[in-house]
Amino acid sequence: MRSHLRRLLRALEHEDVQSISRRYFISNGFDGALTSVGVTVGAYLTGIADGLTVFSIGIGAAIGLGTSGVWSVWEIERAEKRAELARVEDAMLTDLDGTRIQRQQTGARQVNALMSGIGPIIGVILPMIPFLAEGSLLSMRAATMLSVGVAVAILFVFGVYLATISEQRWFVAGARMGLAGLLVAVLNLLLPG
Amino acid sequence: MVTARRLVLDLLKPHEPDVVTFADAVAGLDGVDGVNVVLVETDKEVQTVKMTVEGDPIRVDTVYETLEDLGAAVHSIDEAVCGERVVEQSDTPQD
Repeated sequence: MRSHLRRLLRALEHEDVQSISRRYFISNGFDGALTSVGVTVGAYLTGIADGLTVFSIGIGAAIGLGTSGVWSVWEIERAEKRAELARVEDAMLTDLDGTRIQRQQTGARQVNALMSGIGPIIGVILPMIPFLAEGSLLSMRAATMLSVGVAVAILFVFGVYLATISEQRWFVAGARMGLAGLLVAVLNLLLPG
Repeated sequence: MVTARRLVLDLLKPHEPDVVTFADAVAGLDGVDGVNVVLVETDKEVQTVKMTVEGDPIRVDTVYETLEDLGAAVHSIDEAVCGERVVEQSDTPQD
């Protein structure tokens, strides 16, 4: 278990692994946050009466998106990394199975899949937390608004994070990402159903 | 177990791990005093490097195993020095 963890941490030291993991994490976290906005606004508009039900729906969405994130990336990276290894094997006229390069690819794939799964789980679960306080501290309307606020804040943080690695203005990048959450909320309010 | 005092190897390796990792991995082996890796040629997927290993004694099999584990193929052994002392090659009229 400890050696497995060490392998994952070692894989995460590589810049290309960080870069790909970051993309999956942000992309799927973005999906998760926007899904949570859709779920919460939709739940409020359809008249779901208690926060725990909305929270349960959100957990279902988090499980679905998290599983999707892990599974799809696991398969995508398996194919990509096998193709990459095959190209090197062709160039070297040798079999690289069982070598450090193959073990590193496996570690990288595991990190990529893990980060891809964590993104949507964070993106969905955090915005659902206000619904746990519905009935005691918050009304359904307040919980929904706070939930959208949390989702927008998550998106803002994603934007700020991307700005820090790409030398953009953090508030512009954050606002651009956060705007997507507000847009989804407004679209849910405006569109029928 | 074959041992040597100096080995000069012509290697074909993937771009990753890089030459520093290769040099460090071999330098960490028992008996190895120092390693030099020089890039000879870079292609799209692979690199040709010349690795010089010195030590007393270098376990040749262990060096090979380490290089294979890193994904390298030994193309040729360009120089091997064995014995009680290091003997440099002699100039001959052909040189």
